[in-house]
Amino acid sequence: MSKKPRETANVGAGLWKATGMWAWLLFRISGLVLVFYLGAHIIVISMGQFGHLDRLMEIFDTPILVLLDLALVVAVLYHALNGVRIILMDFGVGIHRHKIAFWIAMGIVIACFAVFAWVAFTFIATGKGVTG
Amino acid sequence: MKAETISSHRGGMWSWLFQRVTAVLLIVMLAIHLIFTHILNIGNLNYDSIGERLAHAGFTAVDVILLAAGIFHALNGLRMVLMDYWFTSRRNTLALTVALWVVGIAAMAYGTWALWPWIG
Repeated sequence: MSKKPRETANVGAGLWKATGMWAWLLFRISGLVLVFYLGAHIIVISMGQFGHLDRLMEIFDTPILVLLDLALVVAVLYHALNGVRIILMDFGVGIHRHKIAFWIAMGIVIACFAVFAWVAFTFIATGKGVTG
Repeated sequence: MKAETISSHRGGMWSWLFQRVTAVLLIVMLAIHLIFTHILNIGNLNYDSIGERLAHAGFTAVDVILLAAGIFHALNGLRMVLMDYWFTSRRNTLALTVALWVVGIAAMAYGTWALWPWIG
């Protein structure tokens, strides 16, 4: 193998190397959190069938739960943007620049998070409920 | 060395392909879902307003696609994680796959039932 293919032959795939290692580990953890959340979300929404949905929504107005919701937004954004990077690498895009691609993805995560955080903190500050 | 990225002990080609297809669907549908629930309608999230939104066929489609793609992507992702540590033999992998399909179909049925009063 020539130098360049050897350097990039197994990029990402389970190699415990700096950026790629953390990207993989956080991808896995955020994925497991989202599996758990999807189950909880389906159960919460199904409470509409029993007439309990609006009461649950009022509980979600609690500031601590709004902050937990923001943590969920971080998990979703991280998983989505790192996922885009992985799909691009499947197509051969950015394999040689996977680290810079990771930091570009993280920049987009932070920019999107800022929008959601602004909305969430406005709600906590004004004390307006999400149910209206 | 055999190409290992999509060989059967890593989940198989279809599992790999559908994980990508559902990922793309989820990014588009989740963007719509999050913008409408968490940004545009956040002061007005209740049983009735969700019903008004879901009365539009487009939003019904978004929610049903989210449900199906989300359940597949979540359980297939969970399967990949479990296969990395446990369920390594062919027999156990098959049992895991069957069990997750049962869970997935049940979750899809329950989730559709949960949306039914708004759709119908």
